[in-house]
Amino acid sequence: MLEGVRDAVRKFLRSSADYETSVNMFVKELQKTLIKSDVNVRLVLQLTRRIKERALKEKPPPGASRRDWFIKIVYEELANLFGGDVEPDVKPKKIPWVIMMVGVQGSGKTTTTGKLARFYKVRGYRVALVAADTYRPGAKDQLRQLAERVGVLFYTEPGDDAVGIAKRGVEWAKKKGAEIIIVDTAGRHRKEADLLKEMEDIAKEINPDEVMLVIDASIGQQAKPLAETFHKTTPIGSIVITKLDGTAKGGGALSAVAVTGAPIKFIGTGEKLDELEVFKPKKFVARILGLGDL
Amino acid sequence: MLGRLKKALKNLVSEISNKAVVEKEEVIEKEVPKIEEKKEVKKVDQKSEKLTKITEEKKEKVKKGFFAKVKETLVYKELDLKKLEPILEEYVLLLTEADVAYEVAEELIEKFKERLKGKKIRRGEDEKKIIEDALREAIYDLINIPGPDLVEEAKKAKAEGRILKIMFMGVNGVGKTTTIAKVAYMLKKAGITPVLAAADTFRAGAVEQLKQHAERIGVPIVTKPYGSDPAAVAYDAIEFAKARGFSVVLVDTAGRMHVDVDLMNELRKVARVIEPDYKILVLDALTGNDAVEQARFFDEAVGVDGVILTKVDADAKGGAVLSVAATIKKPILYLGIGQGYEDLIRFDPSWFVERLLGE
Repeated sequence: MLEGVRDAVRKFLRSSADYETSVNMFVKELQKTLIKSDVNVRLVLQLTRRIKERALKEKPPPGASRRDWFIKIVYEELANLFGGDVEPDVKPKKIPWVIMMVGVQGSGKTTTTGKLARFYKVRGYRVALVAADTYRPGAKDQLRQLAERVGVLFYTEPGDDAVGIAKRGVEWAKKKGAEIIIVDTAGRHRKEADLLKEMEDIAKEINPDEVMLVIDASIGQQAKPLAETFHKTTPIGSIVITKLDGTAKGGGALSAVAVTGAPIKFIGTGEKLDELEVFKPKKFVARILGLGDL
Repeated sequence: MLGRLKKALKNLVSEISNKAVVEKEEVIEKEVPKIEEKKEVKKVDQKSEKLTKITEEKKEKVKKGFFAKVKETLVYKELDLKKLEPILEEYVLLLTEADVAYEVAEELIEKFKERLKGKKIRRGEDEKKIIEDALREAIYDLINIPGPDLVEEAKKAKAEGRILKIMFMGVNGVGKTTTIAKVAYMLKKAGITPVLAAADTFRAGAVEQLKQHAERIGVPIVTKPYGSDPAAVAYDAIEFAKARGFSVVLVDTAGRMHVDVDLMNELRKVARVIEPDYKILVLDALTGNDAVEQARFFDEAVGVDGVILTKVDADAKGGAVLSVAATIKKPILYLGIGQGYEDLIRFDPSWFVERLLGE
């Protein structure tokens, strides 16, 4: 992923050109790589402008070479873009903890719901899943099958009252003593006013502790406006990037993070239920830059 | 600003400005016939055909006489390419922001370069508009690949008493199953009832999903339990269609990452067993640079006859259309523009160009 950045770093450190020329060359390479990775064009320009400004203004501390200092700046700015140095806290802050899943059609919400159920179950929590996607045919069956496979509580109702199902599902799960309650909702995008309203209504009704935005790694330039709209409707608490097992670079998801300020908590790396990892931004950026663990 | 692209643009600008200079020289040369011959021969050697053509044009102009030529210089002027540089840069950004893959945007600039060569514009005409029109044309030419009308194909198959087999494929979550339902609805409305084959025997809920669609639309469906061989499901559906006199079979397949070798082999097996007339790749319009990778992988592994782009209503500009057309040179057949059954429209290149570039 983002191998171009690593190449650019190598070239930069080896370059015999003067500092300013090398910085300019590096910044150009970085822009190209980020755009190719679907990071929002405007964000790329912002990011590289900041890197350039810092690189030409800031003085390295005694002992450090200017070039090493520059790589540190790039590392910091990229890490910021991914949500900073903080590792996400995946432990629920209270019990019961209600998570509401949102995202565009086909981004992997239902599968991720199943994976999350497994993640928490393995860690000893009593988990319940609520199927409130009343729109997509087969969606409730899909979640039921996943719940059975993982072995967790499951609630749904026939009919299309998504708000009611979510509300009664959460109440039911609480009575059953569930510690983690995950509500799966229908896929929607930012031009579907009715569905956004429904999302808002569900959130109002169940008052989730965490709204999780599920984003497909292959999403392109629409990631930014999309995340903005979702965030405006129900403030996003965390992000999951799915399908990182393909060739997509996940840059679109980055843009979404930058917009909402929410941390990326998990990444999905396959279709199987255990293919979910906690996301560590610091490690991730270090890997991109080819720096090893910092 | 944009690395390689900017370099390409700079090359473009310098190349064309050089050429403009050469042309001006020649115009002067024409007025001094003695030197003309020598220089011309030399240049023809150097630059061959294209220049010969230009020289021919110049000769024509000389024939027109001095007065006409003066008039022409008054009315027309060369494009000032240096001034156009920021405009071209703006278009590059515009294209990448519309999710045209970076490498495709680069290629497009190359094509664009060809079109701008030797372009003359009327005085008083808007340069930006000329450039924009040239860009529109370049994009239109790239995506104007005629593809089959599935309704017409189905009618033909029915008339000839054979079965039209259409297989749908794509990565996870692009909207294959919903698209199949839409195609089924479109065919049924045209008077041809298709048979659906639920050959996604992998994903939880996939069979139920297609079954519910089949019920709502009122078309038959052939299913097998989860874990069954997808090729067997597809094969059974074709046998079913043969026995009951249906003329179209639509095969749903499991979503798969194009880099997953086992699943790609499975897909190849389905294709081998049923020999589909059309292998249709379903692509999500929200996809960015990865659209190129997906198209290329599926085309190389299984072969793609046409593409359906979904979720275009999500305000996606659908630059993926361009990425696909440029990469695998296959037609875009339909666009999905919503979750209703009627939300499937024929792809129209000129409509698309307008959407991509705006007014």
